[in-house]
Amino acid sequence: MSTKRYLQIFTSALFGICLMMSTAYAQQTVTGQVTDVNNEPLVGATVIVSGTDRGASTDVNGEFSLQASPDETLIVRFVGYQSQEILVGDQTEFNITLRVDDQLLDDVVVIGYGVQQRSDLTGSIASISGDQIQNQPIASLDGALQGRASGVFVSTPSGTPGAGITMNIRGQTSISGSSEPLYVIDGVPIISEDLSGLFSGGQATNSLADLNPNDIESIEILKDASATAIYGSRGANGVVLISTKRGVAGESTIGFSAYTGFQQVTNKLDMHSSQEFLELMNDAARQDNRDLGTNYSDTHVSDIWGFDPNDPDLQNTVWYDEIFRTSPISNYELNASGGTENTRYFTSLSYFDQEGTQFGTGFERISGRINLDTKINDWLDFGTNLTLNRTLQDRVINDNSLYGVVINTLAGDPLMPVYEEDGSYADPFNYFGWWMLDNPLLIANEYQRFTNTTRGIGTIFGVANITDELTFRSSLNIDYTSLEDEAYTPIISRESQNAQRNGFGNFGTTQDFTWLVENYLSYANTFGDRHNVNGLVGTSFQQSNRDFSSINAQGFPSDQFIKLSVASQVTSASTAGTSWGLASYFFRGNYTFDNRYLFTVTGRADGSSRFGENFRYGFFPSGSFAWRMTNESFMQNQTIFSELKPRISYGITGNQEGIGNFASRGLFGVSDYRATPSLVPTQLSNANLTWESTKQLDIGVDIGLFDDRINMSADYFIKNTEDLLLNRLIPGISGFSSVTDNIGRVENRGFEFDVRGVVLADSDFSWTSSFNISFIRNEVKELEVNNQVLSDSHILSEGQPIGTFYLIDHEGVDPETGNMLWIDANDDGVIDSGDRMIVGNAQPDFYGGFGNSFSYRGFDMNVLFQFTYGNDIFNHSRASYENLGWSRIGIPGIFPLPDGNNHRLADDRWMEPGDVTDIPRASLTNQNWREYSTRWLEDGSYLRLKTLTLGYNFSPEFTQRLGMRTLRIYTQGQNLLTFTNYTGLDPEVNQNARNPLLAGSDFGTLPQSRTISFGINLEF
Amino acid sequence: MKKLSITLLFTALFVALSSCDVLDTEPETSLDPSAALVDGASAQAVLLGAYSRMQVGSYYGIEYTLNNDLIADNARYQGFFDSQLELDSGSVPISNLWIGNAWVSIYSVVNIANQLIDGVPTIDDETFATRDRVLGEAHAIRALAYFDLLRVFGEHFDTGSSYGMPLLLEPIENNDFNLIPDLARSSVADTYNQIVSDLDTALQLMGEGYVDNTQLSYWSTLALRARVNLYRQDYAAAFDDADEVINSGPAVLEDDLDNVYLTTGTSSESIFDLVFSDQDQSAYYTFAYQRDEYNVDPSLTEAFEDGDARRNYIEFVRGSDRPVKWSDPDNANNAKILRLAEMYLIRSEAAVYREATPAPALGADDINVIRNRAGLGDAGPFTTEEEYIDALLQERRIELNYEGHRFFDLVRYDRVGDVLGRDDFRKVLPIPRDELLASDNLEQNPNYPLP
Repeated sequence: MSTKRYLQIFTSALFGICLMMSTAYAQQTVTGQVTDVNNEPLVGATVIVSGTDRGASTDVNGEFSLQASPDETLIVRFVGYQSQEILVGDQTEFNITLRVDDQLLDDVVVIGYGVQQRSDLTGSIASISGDQIQNQPIASLDGALQGRASGVFVSTPSGTPGAGITMNIRGQTSISGSSEPLYVIDGVPIISEDLSGLFSGGQATNSLADLNPNDIESIEILKDASATAIYGSRGANGVVLISTKRGVAGESTIGFSAYTGFQQVTNKLDMHSSQEFLELMNDAARQDNRDLGTNYSDTHVSDIWGFDPNDPDLQNTVWYDEIFRTSPISNYELNASGGTENTRYFTSLSYFDQEGTQFGTGFERISGRINLDTKINDWLDFGTNLTLNRTLQDRVINDNSLYGVVINTLAGDPLMPVYEEDGSYADPFNYFGWWMLDNPLLIANEYQRFTNTTRGIGTIFGVANITDELTFRSSLNIDYTSLEDEAYTPIISRESQNAQRNGFGNFGTTQDFTWLVENYLSYANTFGDRHNVNGLVGTSFQQSNRDFSSINAQGFPSDQFIKLSVASQVTSASTAGTSWGLASYFFRGNYTFDNRYLFTVTGRADGSSRFGENFRYGFFPSGSFAWRMTNESFMQNQTIFSELKPRISYGITGNQEGIGNFASRGLFGVSDYRATPSLVPTQLSNANLTWESTKQLDIGVDIGLFDDRINMSADYFIKNTEDLLLNRLIPGISGFSSVTDNIGRVENRGFEFDVRGVVLADSDFSWTSSFNISFIRNEVKELEVNNQVLSDSHILSEGQPIGTFYLIDHEGVDPETGNMLWIDANDDGVIDSGDRMIVGNAQPDFYGGFGNSFSYRGFDMNVLFQFTYGNDIFNHSRASYENLGWSRIGIPGIFPLPDGNNHRLADDRWMEPGDVTDIPRASLTNQNWREYSTRWLEDGSYLRLKTLTLGYNFSPEFTQRLGMRTLRIYTQGQNLLTFTNYTGLDPEVNQNARNPLLAGSDFGTLPQSRTISFGINLEF
Repeated sequence: MKKLSITLLFTALFVALSSCDVLDTEPETSLDPSAALVDGASAQAVLLGAYSRMQVGSYYGIEYTLNNDLIADNARYQGFFDSQLELDSGSVPISNLWIGNAWVSIYSVVNIANQLIDGVPTIDDETFATRDRVLGEAHAIRALAYFDLLRVFGEHFDTGSSYGMPLLLEPIENNDFNLIPDLARSSVADTYNQIVSDLDTALQLMGEGYVDNTQLSYWSTLALRARVNLYRQDYAAAFDDADEVINSGPAVLEDDLDNVYLTTGTSSESIFDLVFSDQDQSAYYTFAYQRDEYNVDPSLTEAFEDGDARRNYIEFVRGSDRPVKWSDPDNANNAKILRLAEMYLIRSEAAVYREATPAPALGADDINVIRNRAGLGDAGPFTTEEEYIDALLQERRIELNYEGHRFFDLVRYDRVGDVLGRDDFRKVLPIPRDELLASDNLEQNPNYPLP
């Protein structure tokens, strides 16, 4: 079919004109019946002649009739069932049986350097098909994996568009290094870290958002050592293999999809009105009279401030309503795929546009891809994958930062307007609430912060089939990112005014160029029917170079400019660069005996430029065994189990992400004094520095029941990470507090369970269900120095998990006085940071998800719930909006200036002797307020309706009349419902998204979005 | 045949790419230590590196200076940082962030000095004309660093005490962390002896001709020795040193205090300014003026007499009194580590105490030089020692406020109990938690807990 004709169809479809096309071949009428395995007719199944617009759908008897010539192929599809392709040939009547499409066991699974039948797997690998994450209104693929597979913990730490997402596979293996998995796209391990140098609070940018999720065909998550050891020193955190879509011979399609929707924050805080604010302040004075013997009047504070709490005309700003908005999100995509026997292609172009739910935020992406496969001759194939993307991220500062938007809003004074009467932004220093350091709307609207990324990932590969058994594959890959950061802090901002800088700007760039060359030879053969052997051996060389630059300037003529050329003074400018390299040699061998006993061994030797000279190379082996019991003779006469496969694996993998590129060396760096360059020691040497090594044992079983109608997997694993890359405390007399060294041990133990099954499948209605749950225990086993206090709220301690809270504890509120009963843990008579103790942690007891898919005739519905149970959250934000009148900077008797407004939770505060509550009395002085205390520690468990999709697939008869192959319309909701006892904005937040050690703190973090979208997919 | 040749081509590519060494990466903005101290120019660069390390936030970039006023009664905390809250409260836990940072950053200056003292004499460079000066200066830098450590962590007020500093006097061998010695603390007397010996060596090597008020040159080293001698109560030596700086040194008192505080450069009374610029900023303006960690304590504002010109450097802004001794919003104001006004106050104090019997009357003249400059009339005459001490502490508090002296003065005159209401053991801060954990031989100060 020519390109011209594609265009014809597409154009005509666009204009709504139906073109009935004549055919060039001798056609005959073919008829048939489509049934399920139980011989029940399938009604509404689609039968299409491949490469044409001819098609039919089955009637109430499951029968169809259409025109086709002998050299054509019929494609039979039915929702929830596996498609079939049948060459017409001489046949004119067909009986076609479709199998339910929930059979994991016969899937081909992508593994490191190859593919394998799922039934032959000996390791633990979760698969997620591209369909499951397609067209979700989210920016990056990692966010779509939440709740979908056991052992995979995904958390979206904020609602910031394009921001980083946390993913841990089987727990946190590293303390100082990254616990994020290695991402491999079509065989290329890509850069997945934050490359932006722009300060924006706790949230990172997400370089995975550079990729279009709709290009993805499938995602495999490698979990146990047997699966990951072939990635050696980068396999310890698990590996996410992403395969993009490729063309299929014979079937040429043009697809168009679009969705558009709107988003809102999942929650807003219910704050006091101005009247309640004043009444609380007056109550604080009254309570002080009783407890501290002061002598304030009943309207002490409102009088001083000059307000009448009952004045109906009081200014009453609802700050959360001011900074948040309902914002649009949309995506448009056009793709074409198809090909001939010899050349196949997939190309796509898409545009994603999201405005954030908070003013001043947004994310845009335009991305293109072409994947091409060519057969040069009967033994040589060539291919190329190329994707080019441009993202524009509009950012603001958030989280625990002086000039964050949400954080300044937290205890915002309701008596302060957003704008003065002359239209200018109100200045918080002209109002009574102390909390705000600047007007949050000013920050959101007038600060300019952009991160623009251009990224290209390209691969060219050749596959030579040297003999039937022996294949050689060679590939050259490039991952190139060019990123620009641009920021401007306006003249009118407090930040600029206080520092008298007349506006200041920053421009920075990061360029990362990573190349990778891989070659491997693979072999497969069967000896004497029962001995199946395959394996591969190969090499991989990778090097990455990264260059940075940054310029800061100040003194702008007006806020209409943000480019640095107009600034009067450049305050600093710098460039720098760094690089790393990895040289690797790997092999894998599989041996299967009689399709019953499966053995796999793998190994990889990695040399890394980051390791110290004494340990340049590391070797990472694994071995595994599986037993397909259903192929044993004693299982032949049963019909319950279609698969019963216990498996066991053990192996060692590494993590080299926590090491700086030159962490093993003694170094002198350059500094300056009096504008003259100087040399300063910057690092002591550690020639023994090496990778973190994770030993993992996995015992699991795969079970298929009732002809694979139900599939289950259960795994128990123990992951011991040794030689943790940690900062070893060294005597400070050396001028250094620490060196990076391999010390310490962390253990992750867990049980994970997945089940998927077809609940109902008849011709009209089908229902499939899935459920997964993971129980993972993380424990720090060994540290060089125990009980390391990491921050005001966190500690690292042996016997405790990573992310353990260390806070001053209390025994509630004294019913007689209304004051907090703090625990004086060290018995020294004062309550201070020395009284902190271990009070909880941010690790969930268990997490998981459950989903249901229904289809009824053309309708389909998908529901996915996701949950986390047992984790604590340090709701640091509450320390500001539950101040209960405390005056940090004013003088209580003379001029009280409280932190700011209070949450309505404060209505439960202690008021009169005898009141039993957990919220203390109000006070103008700091009686009951301890910033780093368990007063703000809360249960972070939640259950969330993550996605709900409702779609309708138009019948083939209808779509054919429109000249289309398929047409689907749908509506989708994201984060529609959240069930939680957490009182903050959203339980799924983390102000320190960059640092898992400080997990579970919420302080001024932008909450998640609830999104409702409407979409259409059509295919010609 | 074609099949074979293409396979060979692949293999060739494979071999070619394997042989290029991807592991051979070099840092682009750092040097190997073996290349750092090799000639006169690099010795000069390493010397400046010591000043660059003095500029860090936990040392003279801000905290060493201002925390001293915070822990005393000059500054009060109304901000966010717990470290400063703990200092203001006076109850400093061993985990306090600043003490941990200060220990390491001041010792990093010691280590640079050690490298120079070890390496400079043997550098093979005939054109290295300033060799003695660089070597002398390294000794002076080491003396300053040890003195600053001793004042915070050691019982500097008691020369009979065993709680001095661990004295590391050699570079770390091979820059290898495994070879860091595990030192015990030296006595206070030994620490002072090392400091004074370094100062003596420095003065001898540098000679009077070395004048520079932005480095530790001859005069700044002499002024430092005056201060050290005062602290260790060698009043005769302190008098002589201060007297020589006043009479023979290049510094002269400014008539107008604006020239001292409202400038981004040095003033004529600077003896040692650590230089900051808009390209190389301190944090004084940001923290003392913009933020709320070091707001002026009302008791300091009240302590000014009427008509005192020095009162002008405190402003009421955004709800609190704030110092304007560092007025440049680009943080380009220098750290004033030694200036002539202090020498007058040292000479006054030394004059009173240099003989066996205190002579309060001899202290008045120098105090009055400072008072008159600020537009105040004479104090005194002093008849009793108590009268004199009150006047001295008052004058030092007013003249040197926010310059890092107040707490040490209260300690020297044993007033942390009377003035600050603190327990006696809190005259020194605790040895940081991390240091005790990393060392077996280091002893905690009395009454402070172990980790």
